[in-house]
Amino acid sequence: MFLRLLFESFRRQKRRKSVALLAIALGMSIATAMIAVGTDIGDKISQELRSLGANLVVTPIDDTLDVNIGGVNLKPASEGAFIPESDLTKIKGIFWGHNIKGYAPFIANEETFTAKNSAFKADLIGTYFAQPLHYGKEQFSTGVRTVNPWWTVEGAWPQDYDDWPGDDAPGVLAGSKLAQQRGLAIGDQIEVGGKTLRISGILSTGGSEDQAIVAPLHIAQKILRLPNAVQRVTVSALTKPEDAFARKDPDKMSPAMHDRWYCSPYANSIAFQIREILPNVRVEQVRPVEQNQGRVLSRVQGLMLLLTLAALLAAALAVSAAMAATILERRQEVGLMKSLGASNLAVAALFLTEAGFLAVAGGLAGFVAGTLLAHRIGHSIFGSSIVVHPVVLAVVICAALLVTFVGSAGAVRKAMQFDPAVVLRGDA
Amino acid sequence: LSRRQLLFRLLFKAAWVRKDRALTALISVAVVATIATAALTIYSDLEGKLSREFRGFGANVIATKTSGALSSGELTLINQAVGSGGEAVPVAFAIGTELESGSRVVVGGADLEKLRKLNPAWSLTEMHQGNAMVGARVAEKFSHGNDWQIAFGSAVASVRPQAIFHCGSEDDSRIYLPLADFEKLTNVQPGTVLLRIEGRPQEIQAAITLLSASLPGLEVQPVRQITQAQTAVVGKTRSVVFAASAVVVVLIMLCMVATFTSSVLERRRDFAVMKALGASNRAVNSLFAAESALLALTGAVAGYILGSGIAFWIGKANFDAAIPPQPLLLIPVLLGSVFLALMASTAPLKLLQQIQPAAILRGE
Repeated sequence: MFLRLLFESFRRQKRRKSVALLAIALGMSIATAMIAVGTDIGDKISQELRSLGANLVVTPIDDTLDVNIGGVNLKPASEGAFIPESDLTKIKGIFWGHNIKGYAPFIANEETFTAKNSAFKADLIGTYFAQPLHYGKEQFSTGVRTVNPWWTVEGAWPQDYDDWPGDDAPGVLAGSKLAQQRGLAIGDQIEVGGKTLRISGILSTGGSEDQAIVAPLHIAQKILRLPNAVQRVTVSALTKPEDAFARKDPDKMSPAMHDRWYCSPYANSIAFQIREILPNVRVEQVRPVEQNQGRVLSRVQGLMLLLTLAALLAAALAVSAAMAATILERRQEVGLMKSLGASNLAVAALFLTEAGFLAVAGGLAGFVAGTLLAHRIGHSIFGSSIVVHPVVLAVVICAALLVTFVGSAGAVRKAMQFDPAVVLRGDA
Repeated sequence: LSRRQLLFRLLFKAAWVRKDRALTALISVAVVATIATAALTIYSDLEGKLSREFRGFGANVIATKTSGALSSGELTLINQAVGSGGEAVPVAFAIGTELESGSRVVVGGADLEKLRKLNPAWSLTEMHQGNAMVGARVAEKFSHGNDWQIAFGSAVASVRPQAIFHCGSEDDSRIYLPLADFEKLTNVQPGTVLLRIEGRPQEIQAAITLLSASLPGLEVQPVRQITQAQTAVVGKTRSVVFAASAVVVVLIMLCMVATFTSSVLERRRDFAVMKALGASNRAVNSLFAAESALLALTGAVAGYILGSGIAFWIGKANFDAAIPPQPLLLIPVLLGSVFLALMASTAPLKLLQQIQPAAILRGE
């Protein structure tokens, strides 16, 4: 009898049921989309913040002070200490290796270049552009193109040569200011230390590199006669915003605390892990980047969290109102059932079971629609999809059940309070 | 009972007798108006609020004199362009030699107070009664005693740190002296100004353009990684908030329309009785429309107040600065709600008008 009532109610009241179903599905797609966007926004904005460049700098501990004014390096490369380039891939092997988005080694020295029969002095900077490397079985490529995304090149990025290319003049980048001052153009050849280089592109960074010649690291090492040497490595890592715990001195922690600290991707713990695998280096946070990106990130995340809560609340209210409206319409049915001898419990059970079915169906439909919406938002704004965690499905179904029950329960109770006779006369 | 009195009576009774029905309709309108107001208010102020968070990154623009030192006229112009919210710190550099170790060190001259304000991200270890701000690597290298003799040609300065700073850039290898002392020692005047221009990405760009145009002897360049990150983060966050709000508002609107439609359809008997008593289609339509409009108006006003309150609070809670209500939003929110409510209530009436009142009253 109960099942029959339930079935007939769905069969005969298609309009009412579809309105309720629509409302629940809409509400739950809001919930799904907002939860998905809200939980993923941190990662997405974190990626955007990587355009701030490296957040960690690795230098040899014995290095002398930088002597650098107005972007001109006045310290000869022969002075100071170096990090062996061959050790750098180990950076990928640290505990948080997956959070290392990239690194770029640098070596620089002032050199005398000859172009178009005139000599000039400029910094020669050696670095990776997009050097293919491997650590164990993992293949990856790294360099300034990922670490310093604000570097723009007119023309072509040079190749990352492993060795001096036979007869060809290896490609290099000329800084935009230098190129302007010296009349250098793409395709021009320049000479340094008896070796010939070819300008493959003009580099613009807004920084000191605009006045330099930027060459592939191995080419610069050959020119400077410093094989396997780098002076500085900048590392771009996804980090967790610093909190009080992150600032603690790891040496003074209890072993359990130390483990927890070590296993959190704080800039400090990543720096600590890099120091473990590269002896004799100093790893510093680039403080303006590291200290502020967390702040920006937490603001954006906080905003999305609050907006999500507001949207969830609104969706809950809207769904409850819709459920209440569809049940209030059915007073006469309640009156009829009661006058035929149904107990309050039986009436409530019928309505709530109906609501339960609607909630599950609406929740499922809403989840699917919400997932699609989240995908669309992710693709159109960030160019990558927003992942909807399967747990969200459970959350959404539970939320749908809760909201529909709350919305229906009030209305059902109200409907039952009336005298059946009054309701049936149409006076209530 | 005049016609007008009858209309008012019908309107009032319709809402009063079925309070719960009126209330559900009211809630659904209020929810739409609330979420639309809150989302739009936040969206309108988001750029400014988020941009403020980028002040901690230090200088975002650097102005360099192409040759020679900055004149006081140029500095005045720069200070004007930066305004009261920003910071402009002229700096000069020279290379000195620390006498005991013989190592070369870059020494800068700047207003130390302003330098601290410009770089809130530097971690500072305060010392006592010193005259210089000293980079961490310098302090590490010159670990002998606390008084260093630094020679610039024949002039020798005694340097004692008032604070040691960590910043993670080449500044860690530098010493900063007060500008007046520095000028006396080295005879070098500032040729570079570190600027922090506050504002939204396009305002910063406008200030750069203005400065470049009014100061032909200076090269004014943004610190590209900071301005680019700011543009990207602010722009994308705005887009996400916009897209998410649009989705929420549209879906909730649909929800509201469904609720409204169903509450009108519920009243098919009222409709049939009115028609049976001789009311014209127009009279019935306008009665239902007036009722919906009244409900929508009440709901929208409540929603506007509530939504502005939510935006205000979100600003306070998340950005430590309230987001003020936008009076300009009131009209669109009111009109939008009324329009939606009218659409949602008159569409089903069209449907009912095609049915004979008798059929409805018989319950078919």
